[in-house]
Parts: sequence; C-alpha cells; structure tokens
Amino acid sequence: MMTSWTTHLPVFVVILPLFVGFILPTLARRLRLVENLVIAVEVISFVMAAALAVLLFKQNGSPIPYAMGGWPAPWGIRIIADNLGVLFLLVIAIVGLPIALYTKGNLREEVGGRSRTARFYALYLLLMGALAGMAVTNDLFNVFVLVEVATLSACGLVSAHRNPRAAEAAFNYLILATLGSGLVMGSIGFLYITTGHLNMEFAARELAQVWQHSPHVVWMAASFMLTGFGVKAAMFPLHVWLPDAHSMAPTPGSAVLSGLAVKGYLICLLKILYNVFGQTLMRHFTMHHVLTAAGIAAILAGSILALRQDELKRRLAYSTVAQVGYIILGFGFVNQRGLAGSLFYLASHALIKSTLFLTAGAIISATGKTKVSELAGVGRKMPLTMGAFTVASLGLVGIPLFSGFVGKWHLLLGSFESGNFAAAAVILAGSVFCAAYLFPILRNAYFQETPGENWQDPGMAQRAAFVLLSAAIIFFGILPTPLLTLAQRAAADLLFLQ
Amino acid sequence: MINLILALLSGVVGALLTALIPAKNDRLRTTVVFAALASALIFSWRTALLVFAGAELELTFGLAGLTWRLAPDPLGAMFVLIASTLWLVAGLYSAGYMAGKRNLKSYYSFFLLANSITLGVACAGNLVALYLFYELLTLSTYPLVIHERSAEAVKAGAKYIIYSLSGAGALLAAIVITHALTGHSDFTSVPVLAGQTGKGLNWLLALFIAGFGVKAAIMPLHRWLPEAMVAPTPISALLHAVAVVYSGVYGIIRVVYTVFGPELMSSLTFAKALPWIASFTILVGVMIATRQDVLKKRLAYHTISQLSYILLGAFTLQPLGLSGAMLHMISYSLLKVTLFFCAGIIAEQTGETVVSRMGGVGWSLPKTMAAFGVASLGMVGMLPLNTFWSKYYLMRGGVASGSWPLALVLITSGIINAVCFIPTVVAAFKGESQGRVHLESGSSVSLMLVPTVLLAGISLLIGLWPGLVWDGVQAVVNSFF
Amino acid sequence: MTTFLEKLLINYPYVISVILFFIGTLIILTQSNLFKKLLGINVMETATFLMFIAAGNIRGGAVPILSDTNAPYINPLPSALMLTGIVVSISVTAFALALILRLYREYGTVDANEIARLRNGGMEK
Repeated sequence: MMTSWTTHLPVFVVILPLFVGFILPTLARRLRLVENLVIAVEVISFVMAAALAVLLFKQNGSPIPYAMGGWPAPWGIRIIADNLGVLFLLVIAIVGLPIALYTKGNLREEVGGRSRTARFYALYLLLMGALAGMAVTNDLFNVFVLVEVATLSACGLVSAHRNPRAAEAAFNYLILATLGSGLVMGSIGFLYITTGHLNMEFAARELAQVWQHSPHVVWMAASFMLTGFGVKAAMFPLHVWLPDAHSMAPTPGSAVLSGLAVKGYLICLLKILYNVFGQTLMRHFTMHHVLTAAGIAAILAGSILALRQDELKRRLAYSTVAQVGYIILGFGFVNQRGLAGSLFYLASHALIKSTLFLTAGAIISATGKTKVSELAGVGRKMPLTMGAFTVASLGLVGIPLFSGFVGKWHLLLGSFESGNFAAAAVILAGSVFCAAYLFPILRNAYFQETPGENWQDPGMAQRAAFVLLSAAIIFFGILPTPLLTLAQRAAADLLFLQ
Repeated sequence: MINLILALLSGVVGALLTALIPAKNDRLRTTVVFAALASALIFSWRTALLVFAGAELELTFGLAGLTWRLAPDPLGAMFVLIASTLWLVAGLYSAGYMAGKRNLKSYYSFFLLANSITLGVACAGNLVALYLFYELLTLSTYPLVIHERSAEAVKAGAKYIIYSLSGAGALLAAIVITHALTGHSDFTSVPVLAGQTGKGLNWLLALFIAGFGVKAAIMPLHRWLPEAMVAPTPISALLHAVAVVYSGVYGIIRVVYTVFGPELMSSLTFAKALPWIASFTILVGVMIATRQDVLKKRLAYHTISQLSYILLGAFTLQPLGLSGAMLHMISYSLLKVTLFFCAGIIAEQTGETVVSRMGGVGWSLPKTMAAFGVASLGMVGMLPLNTFWSKYYLMRGGVASGSWPLALVLITSGIINAVCFIPTVVAAFKGESQGRVHLESGSSVSLMLVPTVLLAGISLLIGLWPGLVWDGVQAVVNSFF
Repeated sequence: MTTFLEKLLINYPYVISVILFFIGTLIILTQSNLFKKLLGINVMETATFLMFIAAGNIRGGAVPILSDTNAPYINPLPSALMLTGIVVSISVTAFALALILRLYREYGTVDANEIARLRNGGMEK
C-alpha cells in the first residue's frame, strides 16, 4: 500500500508550481521572499520527482496512475506518472533548481523593476507547472491547454526583457506558436471526431480499429500534429522564431526556454505519436521518415547557421535548433535503442544548454560584451563560469564521460539498428560542427587576452547554479544508469514492448 | 598494477601542480615537470618490463554504461617505452628551447597532461578506452599547437581539431558497430571480430582505418600535419613526429591485429589494398618532402612518409613484416626526434628555417649538424644505423606476403630519402671553417644539444647491436602470431 | 470519387472549418500589420472551435439536460472544451495586444516590416 501523500504526488508536482506562481505577483514588494519561494518550490519539486522515480523503480517501471477527482477513465481525466513522465519530471527538477538559483543574481537588471521581476517569477513557475503537466498528462485536450499555458508563459518570459527587441521577438514567437497550437488543436479535433475519445489510451485503441474508414482525416490529424509541434519545438525549417526569442529573453528565460520548454513540446509530440497513433500508423504514413529527414536537416542547417553567428546567445540558440534535430532523429528510428538514446539526449541537452545559456548570460553581464570575438581572456578572469561553459561544451560535443556522449552512443546504436547509416554519419558530423562553433569560444576565452579588464565570476547563488549543473553533466556522463534505465523503459513503453 | 596506475597518473598530477604554481616561479616548475616526467618514465618502464615478462595487468571500470579497460600487452608496452622515454628527452630539450619564452605554465601543463593521455592510449584494453584517450589526446595537444597564439597557429589549430574530431567520429561509428556486432570490444588474445563474416566488414575496416588514419597521417588525411608545425619545436618533435601520430599508427596496428586479427584480415578485399595505400603515402610523402624548402615542413612530410613504413609492415600480415614495423617504430622515433631537435637548434641559434640558406651552417653548429648527419643517414637506411634493420625486415615481410614490389617501394623511397637529406648535410659543411661564429655555447644550447646527441648515439647503438631491442620486438610479434 | 465528394458535402462544417483555418493561416503569414496577424490568429482559432462544436452537434438534438424524454441530445463535451479554448484564445489576444502596444510606443508603428527597418536603422547609428 502506498501512503496517502505519495498517492497524490503525480498531481501535486503539477499543481504546486502553478498555485505558487499565481500568488507571486501579489508579493512583488518582497522580492527576496519571492526569490526564496521559487527556490523552495523547485526544491520541493525535485524531492517529489525523485520520490516518484524511487516509487517507479520499486514497481519495476509499471506506471503510477492518478484519477483526477476520483473519476475513472474515460469519463474522468486520468494522469499517469509513467517512465517517460518521470524522466521528464526529473529533468525539469534538475534543471529548474539551478535556473532558479541563478535568478537570485542580476535578474532585475535585465528585467527592470520589482513588479516586473515578480511577474517574471510567476511566469517561470507557470511554465514549470505546465511542463510538469505535459510530463504526466494522458489526455489530448489537457495537452492543448498545457501547451497553451506553456506558450503564453514562455512568450511572457521573452518579453520580460527590457530591450524592445524582446517584445518584437516575443510577438513573432507568440504568433507562430499560436499557429502551432491551432494546428495541434485542429489535429486533436480530427482525432476526437474519428475516435470519440480524448484519453490517449482509449483514443489509441479506437483509432487502431477505425482509422481505415477515414484515412484522410487521420492523415490530416497526423500531419497537423507534426507541423504544430514542429513549430513549437523549432523543428527545422519551422525554427524561424527561435533564434530571436531564445537570444532576446533574459538569461534565465533563455535557459529555461532552450533547456526545457522545447523539450516539453517534444515529449508531447512523442506521447501522441507513439501512444495515440502508434508505430504501425506512423510507419503507414511514413512519419518516421519525415522525422528522420527533419532531424538530419536540422542538425546540418542548425550547425551551419550557428557557425555563422558572432553573437554568443544567438550562436547558442541556433545550436538548439541543431540539437533538437538529434532528438527528432531518434524519434524517427522507431526502435528502443534509438528512442532511449533520444530521450537520454533530451535530458542531457536540457542540462547542457541551460548551462551554456546561464554561463553565457553571466559572461555577458559581467563583461558587457555580447560577441564571441570580443570575449578574449574571459577564461582566466571568470574561471568558474567559463569552467562550467567548458564542461557543457565538451558535453555537447560528446566527449566520453560527459552526458552527451551516452546519448550519442545510444542514438548511434539506434541508427545502426534501423539501418540508417546516413543518420549515423550526420550524428557524427554534428559533433564536429558542434566543436567548430563552440571551441573557438573556449580558445578565445583561455588562450587570448584582453588586458586591463577586471571581470569577475558572479555571486554565490549563481556559482552554485553553475557547479550544480556541471556536476550533473559529469554525473550523468559517468553514471548514466538510473536515467538511462528510465529512458530505456520509457522507450519500451512507447513501442509497447513488454 | 600500482606501476601502471602511477605511470598513468604522474603526468596528470604533474600537470595539475604545474597549473597551480605561480607563472613566475620557473625553478619550482622545472622541478615539478622533471619529477613528473621521471616518475612517468620509471613506472612506465617497470610496467612495460612486467608486461614483457608475461604479467597480465588489467583494470576495468564500469562507467557511462560501458566497460573501460586498461590492459597493456606487449604492443602497448612497446609504445609505452617509446613514449615515456622520448617525453623525458623532449622535456630536457624544452627546458633549453622554451627558456624565457611566454606562456610556460600552460605549455608544461598540457605537455605533462598529454604524456598521461598518450600512455593511456598505449595501455587501453578495449576500444572504448582507446577512443576516450584518442579523443582526449586531441584536446590536450590542441593548446600546444596554438602555443604561439598567432593567426597562423590558430588556423592550424582549427584544422587539427576538425581533422582529428572527424577521425574520432569515424572511429566512434566503427566502435559502435563493433559493439553492436560482438557486445564487447576487449583486446584479448582472440581478435574481437573473430568469426564474423559479411561484406560489411570491409566498410567497418575502412571506418577504423579512416578514424585512426587521420592521426597516422595516411594520405589524403594528412593535411593537418604540415600545418601543425607552427608549434614550438619540442612539440613538433615529440607530438607530431611521435606521440600523436603514433597513437594513430598504434590504433591501426591494434585494429589489424587485435580487432580483426590476421586471419580475418587476409580474407577482406579492402585489406589487400591497404599495403598499396601505405606505399602511395610513402612515395608521395617523401617526394613532397624533397620539394619543401622550410626545414620543419620538409620534416613533416617526411614524417608522413615514414609513418606509412610502419603501417606497411603491419599491413603485410607477416611476422617478419610486423617485426620490421616494430623495429621501425623504435628506430624512426629516435631519428626523427633528433632531426627535429637539430632543426630547432638551427632555428634558435641562427634564425634560419629555410634549407637552401643553410649552407655552411655546420661550421657554426658542428655537433648539431653531426647529429643531423647521423640521423639523415639513418633515414636513408644506411648500415650502422638502426633503420637498416627495420627496413630489412620490412622488405622481407613485403616479399613474404607475396608482393615483391613492396620491397621495391622501400628501396625507391630510400633513394629519395638520400636526395632529401644528404645534400643538406653536405652543404652545411661547405666553405671554410674560418671566420664562422661558434654558436654552441651557453646553458640553454647545451640543454638542447645533450638530448639531441644522446638520441643520435642511441640510434647508432641500436644499429650496431640490434639485439638490444629484438627481444621486445619478438614479444610483440609472438603475441599476435 | 463521388463518394469522396459526398463525404465532403455531408461533412460540410468540417470542410468550412478547414478552409477558414487556412484563411487564418494565410493572413498570419502574409500580412505585415501586427493587428492583421492577430486577426488571422483569431480566425484560425475560431475555425477550430467550429470544428469541435460541429463534432458534438446532432441536427435537431435536444439540450443535454437530464430529462425524462429519450430524445437524442447534443454531446456537451466539445462545447465545454471550447469554452476553455475561447478563454485561451482571449488570453493570447490580450497578450498580443499588450505586446503590440509596447511595440507601438517604442517604434510608433504597428507594421512588422517598418519595425524591422527602424530597428536596423537604429543599429547603424
């Protein structure tokens, strides 16, 4: 028997950040309290995610269901903390805490004003809540609502920056993201018309029987879904909004957007593709080829575009486009190794990219320089910041014993298993590109000098954030087993292997 | 076991200490550097001798969901011996060459770090560990390539990184495939892929060769090497003539003998092409070398050519060929480091880097040029020197494998080698000795000169008494046949 | 072919909603005026509402209130969902309007191209 508090964990983990998020703006006068409250929420979320993970491991990976209000499915809304969900909850918690710590520094400089800062925190928690919801939701309409909550709060985070360009970026993001949501909702509509269900399991069961009666509608649903989430997850060539939005947002915003928000949409897409359409339909509509092709294009194009950026944050933003390509590529392999690799890569990239954005933000605010070419000698003057940046870079390139390597290894296994040698070559070429756009930053930072400048590492909270994140990158590089097991079980669930 | 661990850790610990020592404290740094190099040398030799004596050293770790294994065998031990010895010698030379130059702290830190990593390459007991050290070697030697911080150095460094990482990428693909096929990649007396069949193995072999071939500078993957010569001379000598490029050569020998195994290799179509690829690199490399006027560039292309001698020996899949390869691995490294050291002394003392303007330089630097002359003769393969023996066995291996033209390739290459080096030596001693300034005095010069002459002497000694190294060579060969 | 056309005719609300959807999308992608883009969003969202409501509708069906008659009744779920959808849509509209206002104060125009021109001109200064 589970104790009563653990029974409600799957829903608490969603409700807590949402609830606290709503009361934060009223506490704008006591910003210190707001900051600490956010950190407390993140710590509690982490504990809850860890508890769920432990529960899940105790049950050998069989999911933990929760019926909202006690109504059984399909009448009530059922949420499920399965392997995939808990994996993503863990990622959110591990990345969310350092980002919250980071905000204790100079967020007000970037955002401006107490009440604006408090609202930033509110949006941050709303986004975290929505992402946690995406992890555990099992209902198509809930997916839509959560996606909208996430989109609105993400746009809010972008527009929070004082720079008017941020408002422009946020507007473009909002328009395209809403277009994406529209497509997703349309797709959900088609699915509802065809199956009469919004619960994913029931919809899937029904769809398997009836899709042949109206293949065109189901095909429309699938392509709307793919395009809709493609826009939101910045799947190349639907990424046009991303570089502006992710580079203009305040630093913690960039980190959470690139690190987590994009991943949330990917998780939703993965759930709907595999749990609702199922691999048979995916193969029938050749969606796996679309995914692989999009992944390959994203890796190549994103990397080349990243190479050409001189502005640090833009370079990182384009790198996200490329890295999303890896994850999508794994979705397209339709085998357990590839999916597990993709999910592990998703987790690893969440850690790495948020580290990169946070350290880049710290460097930019310490030096006042935003261009890669101007950052000579940062490494000596801000050793801790640049150290974390280095760890993250090595992780992204995929040096063994950093987390990125494990993901790439399994992605490669998956690509060979599906016989896709071109994808394997692109995965490896992507690493070289990645080195080509990240290592020059390191070279400038460590082996060049800008005399006379007195740049310094940021304050304690931010340093703690960097240490936590780099430690996590190395930890999951050396001991990936718990996370990898989750990813492998999640992949098995998605493919209905038992 | 403790020897192995200490040998591997000496460099890392030394590097960390060096990085912590204030930049101005030259004396303390020198002490630490030599202590680390000496300890690496001592423990490496002890490890190697244990291995040759038949001890089975093995360390396994389970990290990143994979098994990582350190298990030096005779081949690895041979590489350990060469690397650790030359590292100390190059350290000695560095003390003279780098005296008073900039960025010594980072130079010595990465110099020591690379030592550990190279020994790691040599001791790796499976492909995964080998890949790790191979990748780390790229990263740790990159700062040494761009040591001058000039635009040219940065460009060369970028090229080095891109080539090496691309190679590592091919290698990773090959390793993942190997893992998928066999479930492990441990180096044991049974080749990893023994018993596998299929056309795909040709492609797998090609991936492996491409992966290691970048560092082994097989043409056309060699282009980074001549550019990397912007590095300080001790680095060019040690890393780009021996340690880094040998890690590629070593990797290829590993692939041929412990991953595929001679038996499987002889059944693959691609394997039959390999000796000819090596021959092509031997001839074209040395021809390009002859046309280079900058001494270091000439030596670089010459390196490319000579590395393929070793590969040629390994690709013959004959015990005699492999003996030749092992002998050449030892002999060539000694001679090439000597040549580079001489080039460094010439450049430092006279400021001259171009061969055609080195006429008469021998009267100012008699000992240097004498060493240069000895090494040049060695490169041709003349009798009193060690390379005579290695070429002899390489030719016998070539003939034994049934392709006598391979022996012809080696003879031709020897002749071109003579054209490449002998005129320089002769020109260095032309003209009168009177009126020349003698440039071989002072402590920093003697620090450079001692290792140079020492290496030339060792080469001569091995040439006169090849039995010194023959047991080791036989141990390597016997472990594979 | 006829059956396909017949299907389309019978399902005309869906066809109309898909057409409306693409009209909305077209407006979003082609118009440079920020307000028009926003209107495009609204058209698109309304199209999806129409589709859901049509899915739940039964011609001549009764109001879904519990009663003694056994007449067919309209499925209430889509309508309930669309209430949520409308709320979401209003939030998006409100937020977009706030952003437009901020951009207008900053640049004095609501035209995307004009804003881009002003911004790039501003960088040259």
